[in-house]
Amino acid sequence: MRGLTVFIADIRNCRVRELEEKRINKEMANIRTKFKEGSLSGYDKKKYVCKLLYMYILGWDVDFGHMEAVNLISSSKYSEKQIGYLGVTLLMHENSDLVRLVVNSIRKDLDDNNEIHNCLALHAIANIGGREMAEALAGDVHRLLVSPNSKSFVKKKAALTMLRLFRKHPDVIPAPDWAERITNIIDDYDLGVCLSVTSLITALAQQYPEAFMMAIPKAITRLHKVIVERDFSADYVYYKIPIPWLQIKLLRLLQYFPPTEDPNMSEMLHNVLQTIINNSQETPRNVQHNNAQNAILFEAINLAIHLDCESDIVRQATNILARFILSRETNVRYLGLETMAHLAAVTDELDEIKKHEETIILSLRDKDISVRRRGLDLLYSMCDVTNVKTIVSELIRYLHIADYALREEMVLKIAIMTEKYATEYSWYVDVILQLISSAGDHVGEEVWYRVVQIVTNHESLQEYSAKMVLHYMRSPHCHENMLKVGGYILGEYGHLIANLPGASPIEQFNTLHARFGLCSLATRALLLSTYIKFVNLFPEIKGAILAVFNQYRHVLDAELQQRACEYMAIATMPTDDLLQTVCEEMPQFTERESALLSRLNEKTNQTEDKRTWNIGGKDSNEKTPANLLAAKENKENGSVDDLVAGVNGATISATGGATEEAAQGTNGAAATASSAATPAAPAAKAGLTWKDQLAPGHEVWYNRLRDGSDGVLYEDSILQIGIKSEYHGHLGRVAMYFGNKTHSQLNSFAVTVEAPEGLVVVNSHTLATSIGPSTQIQQLYSLECQQIPTEVPLIRISYQAGSMQSIYLKLPVTLTRFLEPIQLSSADFFARWKQIGGAPREAQSIFKSTEKINLERARAVLVNNRLGICENVDPKPGNFVATAVFNTSLNGKVGCLLRLEPNRDTDMYRLTIRTTSDVVSKHLKEILHTALL
Amino acid sequence: MINFILVFNRQGKIRLSRWYQYMTDKQKASVSQDIVTQILARKRGMCNILELEGRREARGKAIYKRYASLFFCFGIDWNDNELSGLEVLHKYVECLDQYFGNVNELDIIYNYSAAYQVMDEMLLGGHAQETNKKIVVKHCKGFDKLEESDSIVHNLRASNIA
Repeated sequence: MRGLTVFIADIRNCRVRELEEKRINKEMANIRTKFKEGSLSGYDKKKYVCKLLYMYILGWDVDFGHMEAVNLISSSKYSEKQIGYLGVTLLMHENSDLVRLVVNSIRKDLDDNNEIHNCLALHAIANIGGREMAEALAGDVHRLLVSPNSKSFVKKKAALTMLRLFRKHPDVIPAPDWAERITNIIDDYDLGVCLSVTSLITALAQQYPEAFMMAIPKAITRLHKVIVERDFSADYVYYKIPIPWLQIKLLRLLQYFPPTEDPNMSEMLHNVLQTIINNSQETPRNVQHNNAQNAILFEAINLAIHLDCESDIVRQATNILARFILSRETNVRYLGLETMAHLAAVTDELDEIKKHEETIILSLRDKDISVRRRGLDLLYSMCDVTNVKTIVSELIRYLHIADYALREEMVLKIAIMTEKYATEYSWYVDVILQLISSAGDHVGEEVWYRVVQIVTNHESLQEYSAKMVLHYMRSPHCHENMLKVGGYILGEYGHLIANLPGASPIEQFNTLHARFGLCSLATRALLLSTYIKFVNLFPEIKGAILAVFNQYRHVLDAELQQRACEYMAIATMPTDDLLQTVCEEMPQFTERESALLSRLNEKTNQTEDKRTWNIGGKDSNEKTPANLLAAKENKENGSVDDLVAGVNGATISATGGATEEAAQGTNGAAATASSAATPAAPAAKAGLTWKDQLAPGHEVWYNRLRDGSDGVLYEDSILQIGIKSEYHGHLGRVAMYFGNKTHSQLNSFAVTVEAPEGLVVVNSHTLATSIGPSTQIQQLYSLECQQIPTEVPLIRISYQAGSMQSIYLKLPVTLTRFLEPIQLSSADFFARWKQIGGAPREAQSIFKSTEKINLERARAVLVNNRLGICENVDPKPGNFVATAVFNTSLNGKVGCLLRLEPNRDTDMYRLTIRTTSDVVSKHLKEILHTALL
Repeated sequence: MINFILVFNRQGKIRLSRWYQYMTDKQKASVSQDIVTQILARKRGMCNILELEGRREARGKAIYKRYASLFFCFGIDWNDNELSGLEVLHKYVECLDQYFGNVNELDIIYNYSAAYQVMDEMLLGGHAQETNKKIVVKHCKGFDKLEESDSIVHNLRASNIA
């Protein structure tokens, strides 16, 4: 096209930007007129679109010509079609309004018998595919992928196009249904097809790990074929290495699954990894050869670490890595440090890595910022109790000369390491104060909040930190953040050091007030609060403080003025009662996840593929996709650490079977879990009672807590709910904990309780309407049993996460919680037993136990339901006699007598209950019947 | 996956760009500006990896390599294998070289649509689809033949009209 060539040459001849702009404007105007006139030939249209595209690539705004590009697509000539597609993919994006205009042309080209047209259409979908395309065309793309008639070059494009659609709109791809046919393509003879489909499976398997389990043996076999058997087409050799990208993709794919249990497969994989390590003993001269070899090696090491970080292969790899971090080549140093950080992040055995501590610390002074960052992350990952002091002191020293871009992250990491591995708290306080004083600008709010929390919760620290903070505040360059910490700590604990020389009340006040005028309004407001606390702690300096309040009563800022006025009023009251109440010592903070960690995680968690590992210690790596899957399989085995989930309440421990649900829930969009995560989607439908909408699976948690123990009442990928309770007579208290496991805030959070008749449930305070990311809130309920409740209370939790979600649950507050065990002698028991007599006040049931009768278990059921077991009343050993009193506040007490006769030969129970109320008899019988089954 | 591809010269002029992740034109401009400046400022001997963490729109890492007057740069995810990406990049340059025969900046300027064609034959939706140089170049040359026949027809028509 001569016109285009001339135009490009013209532009290139423009030596200054102004000339270029003039030429561009002229051309734009010209093209606009041409387009407006219409009736252009295909060739001219193509020429003008080409010119527009060239201007677009140069960075000029092109806001017209889209329609012409769309028209070109339906041209019958290849060259026009191709430019049309190029124009569409460059100028449009997934949300363009014009996308719907091309969907039909694209569909036509997909259905065309001409494969080249198929390919152009696939390119367009892969580059701009949005929702409309996904919905309209996913089926066609799938057909091209799995059809035996498709040529290889169509197949591989179809695989990657499907991947794009899945990434953007996973809901339109029924991946589990297609899993088998897609996975089979790994065996395709064509390595290009295999490469593309491996990328697709890697993405799908992260969402549906179970459906794609069958990819494991296929991937291992293919790797074995290429690497060990050396069976591949010669065209795919890249600098002596057979298709390195496929090797890497397959090695990566396996990292999203737990290690295979098939011994043959395991053996094959071991051979593959060992061959890769052996191949890497020599360093090739050629850069490309070397890079490709190392690329595979690093991926193999990552896989080996994932499989078993204590294996022999990993030991060999560690030696290689040690060599790499000393390499003269920067890329190799960078990757060596990165991979070592992976190892440090998952292994228990840090000794091998610690040997290289010096080298790693030196890498902080590398001339390349990328390498410095890796060094920092590795130090962070390899930190433990033994080396924390060295590492932290090195980092603090380095902080002064570190890049500005790095400092905030460094401060966060130092703060986390110090808190995590401190053996003495005074050291922790020293480090953080040093941090604030030397890098105050980079200390985020979270850091100083956290110091305050820790000091408040550790009494032994309070005096020491008050002393230290006072010392730091006297240095000439005191940062404002230090003043904030100082203000808070002295306000709370200043009295602890008031007798020390140089720390008398007035000296404390003067130290703070010397900088008062220089700091921001927020800090001044905080300091005013400190002063009112001083008035309470040190009445002797009240005069000086009142002067400050008085002065600030007239300040312009509303917040400061209000504080000053209110504090003034409180301080000048005739009695100190209100002052004392207001300034009472702060209660301890509830234990919660450090906000620092969630801050750090937030920074690193935006990526298309799920991360196979995270920077940091072992605990940061328990929620990687493969680990979750492993946890799910490993049903009987133990507890998923809740730290990352953010619900670190000491009160809530997920044990045993709860892990299973937890893992399932966290798997996000996995088909099974998504139904659990949005349990009551149709909840809003009218006419349903709460009981009909109970969250699926709630019984499992409910049954575990039925005996009155504390634990998890509900858990999904978003929320964890814990419960803790205590009862006394007809009164009870229940604490509920709501933990937000996500990294975003849950809004419109609300909890309502539906109490059955006879039971009054009152909440102690109004609950917050939002839960911050990875935090937990608590709600207390007091219960009063007024009459005889025949149902358990129901609770409804609702919140906004995308759409409105509601969860309905039963609270394990049964009638038996209000029983009080008593002991009766044989004579007393039978006297009352007879007195109550038979029906209606007697309730009896004879039933078969679902398992072999275990007397210990039966006893436990009775005790957990708060019945007092009377020994030696029933002459027959093995029979139980138990008594209790049921308390209500309005209906008085109800005496309950019980006999439980197990027949161990037939595994039958006979349960007889006599109480002074027929309702209680009936109800108690039902509860115990279910519990004994 | 590869989030974007940038090809620019030593003066910072963008020659080719392809975005596999959604961004507005404004964001694209600011991200490419930012990356180009940083890469041009890096010295020889530094590694080919630039970490983008902490920047608003872009995420992950940028890997880059210089070939004569041009810099080729891929934006990749944090977790991706950097060397593997670098070699895909090298492969792309090899394919261009084979296609144009000793490629230089001018080839790419005047035949940008062919350069995009080679790119789309190798990479699709941010993943490598074909790394066999022969196949890539064969396909692209095949397309050219189609184009030629189009233009012959066009020229015939034009001469008829004349």
